[in-house]
Amino acid sequence: MVETLQNLALGFSVALTPGVIFYAFVGCVVGTLVGVLPGIGPLAGISLLLPATFGLDATRAIVMLAGIYYGAMYGGSTTSILMRIPGEAASVMTCIDGYAMARKGRAGAALAIAAVGSYVAGTVSVVALMFLAPPLAAFALRFGPPEYFALLVLGLLVLAYMSGGSMLKALAMAALGLLLGMIGIDQMTGYFRFAYGVVELGDGIGVVPVAVGLFGLAEILATAGLATPPAVIKPKLCELLPSRQEWRQSAWPIGRGTVLGFLIGIIPGSAHIISSFVSYAIERRLSKHPEEFGRGAVAGVAGPESANNSATSGAFVPMLALGVPSGPIPAVMLAAMMVHGVSPGPLLIKQQPELFWGFIASMYVGNVVLLILNLPLVGVFVNLLRVPYPVLYPSILVFCVLGVYAVNGSVVDVWIMLAMGALGYVLRKLDFETAPIVLGVILAPMIEMAFRQSLAMSDGQYAILVTRPIAGTLLAVGGVLALLGLKPLVARGLDWRARLSLAGKGEERL
Amino acid sequence: MRSAGQLGLAALTALAVLSTGARAQEPYPARPITLVVPFPPGGVADLTARPVAAAMEKVLKSPVGVVNKTGAAGAVGMQFVATSKPDGYTLLLALSSISIIPEADKLFGRPPAFTVDQFAPIALISADPTILVVPADKPWRTAKDFIEDATRRPRQIAFSSSGVYGTLHMAMELFSHAAGIRLRHVPYAGAGPALTAILGGHVDALASGPAVVLPHIKSGKLRPLAGWGAARVAALPDVPTFKELGYPGAEFYIWAGLFAPRDTPPPALAALRASVGAAVGDPDFRAAMDKLETPVAFKQGEEFRKFFEADAKRLAEGVRQVGRVQTQ
Repeated sequence: MVETLQNLALGFSVALTPGVIFYAFVGCVVGTLVGVLPGIGPLAGISLLLPATFGLDATRAIVMLAGIYYGAMYGGSTTSILMRIPGEAASVMTCIDGYAMARKGRAGAALAIAAVGSYVAGTVSVVALMFLAPPLAAFALRFGPPEYFALLVLGLLVLAYMSGGSMLKALAMAALGLLLGMIGIDQMTGYFRFAYGVVELGDGIGVVPVAVGLFGLAEILATAGLATPPAVIKPKLCELLPSRQEWRQSAWPIGRGTVLGFLIGIIPGSAHIISSFVSYAIERRLSKHPEEFGRGAVAGVAGPESANNSATSGAFVPMLALGVPSGPIPAVMLAAMMVHGVSPGPLLIKQQPELFWGFIASMYVGNVVLLILNLPLVGVFVNLLRVPYPVLYPSILVFCVLGVYAVNGSVVDVWIMLAMGALGYVLRKLDFETAPIVLGVILAPMIEMAFRQSLAMSDGQYAILVTRPIAGTLLAVGGVLALLGLKPLVARGLDWRARLSLAGKGEERL
Repeated sequence: MRSAGQLGLAALTALAVLSTGARAQEPYPARPITLVVPFPPGGVADLTARPVAAAMEKVLKSPVGVVNKTGAAGAVGMQFVATSKPDGYTLLLALSSISIIPEADKLFGRPPAFTVDQFAPIALISADPTILVVPADKPWRTAKDFIEDATRRPRQIAFSSSGVYGTLHMAMELFSHAAGIRLRHVPYAGAGPALTAILGGHVDALASGPAVVLPHIKSGKLRPLAGWGAARVAALPDVPTFKELGYPGAEFYIWAGLFAPRDTPPPALAALRASVGAAVGDPDFRAAMDKLETPVAFKQGEEFRKFFEADAKRLAEGVRQVGRVQTQ
């Protein structure tokens, strides 16, 4: 403990030098921008800026790249809340209740809660990173394919809680998403599946064009199709801050989202996106008023936004403690370290204490910077809603196309986004929810890969999925959850779904 | 009118001929050069390309920009360069996989994204042999132990790879074919996850570039057994090569080389070869490669062509040995 504090003091002595603060600030600003712009997410942002860090020293480079990563999680909520366009993939869930809040005139409150939730999650998770990195990293490595598969099965069960409408429709959408996720090279055999000779489809359908198309584009199309354009919301200054009740409703979701995001974040894989989905589902399950979800429940913003932030710190655990890439973004950051002659690995913390502790301290500083940066911006961003739709929507469309193209420099991605926009419009008209599609597209390749890797490990013995302790436990939990999910079918009680359909009767959904 | 039109057309054609004539005579390079990296930033190819491009700029006195064109394990970017204008202004930095992808396409009977004869080799920049590592808590002390155990228990020892038909898979395949053993293959999506898998104890072996596993060898988590190179790795002088151990078929390098589209004019190719030759001697370039712990292995012209062709032949055989993968 004392030693940790001494080390932290060393870290702050590094992090508070003007040069390091400057680059932390630059990283946070770029991250916020990358998060705000639809399409371009933290991975594209970090990749684009990686060459620019080659001239810096290792600590500054890492501090700046990390700033982009967690800064993007702050910025990602902005367009989700204001325009229903996920700024990056981990903000998909924020679109639902955040945008609903904005329609009710609570955009400022939603943005402020997202920022504060991100701050709390960011700061608390750095504390966890500081104290627990080495033991947690060892634990994270025990997640092999069977464990990952079990975790993803849990993620699939979460689907049942994601939608407020008909369960049948939600499952149909999830199935569609899973099918879309099957497109691309079969990672186990090298076969191209459903690629029809388009080499770009070999990598599968990216989550970014799908999410931007299904949410952003569909929203624009739907609005354009209204007989009378919706009234332009004129936010008043006094409505910018969350009310006391909204704070109370978000306190627990922020806490739970922080813990959940961190735990999911440390597991190697692209799990940080899933953290926001799982957090949303848990909040809905625990809520006394699950019927409010989808109509502007503040917990539906607070939970996922906290979870995606704390997952970024979680992802740094295996990276810093073991030199193991826990996902594509930490992989780029590891490369950045190697370029600077710092060899990442289990000895990093001992051999490069200035780098490790300076990095930790810079994250405390960076989160404060982001809070200071984002809270006043709430007032600025909210004014975007004053822009008349004939001007606002075409501009958004341009940004969507540019952003989606910029991720891979691929026109195929733009076409996918446009097709998904059309699909999303039709599905909205037919009253289907689209979030399960996005989750399906994310989960399908991961769950398939983990399942088949498990079988490759065991030479075809299915027992490997239940005999390994962590995997077995997770699957048992999943089984219990599935049984609980069946209960209302048997008991025929008035659960929240029934209440919801009663409440929804006669009410036109937007 | 018609004749006037014809005259105009003729004049235009003449002008076009003149201008292309002028083009052909203009000194190379007259415009910025694009170096396409078919892999994402931060990978071996990208980290090699950037210092090379910077050093070539100094020699050619013309900007050399690095563009990451990623997708389908590199096939998208390689196809892009294969079909781009052969004028010496679009170059490719490729890894060993350039020889594997068309072979795998052939295996599945699909139209190849590109073929190796669509490229003119310029120069080899680095060639790092892979090394065989196992978790330190496994009983195998030497490659001999490993091979004996694998012979006794066919398909029981599992290895991770960067993906099916990927570089790390091919390395292992060439070794197991040479040693006459059968291992269990668990493909991962990239070299990073493959390393994570062996550190977590989910697989028993991995073929990997030396730079990536050195820290884990030093910290005592992994044990190196043998290398795929013609000579021992400088950083691991005690680790024998498969060649020394009597398996000459197990030769594999993760190499990085520069290519241009096939019909690039010879003067441009010559200028490029000379510039890479000068670039690899550049102190900044040397320093950058030292930090990556990747030894420079410069080969150009006929020498690189021979290396490339021998390597492509080995890998093509490797792909055919694997055949179409059967899974559960």
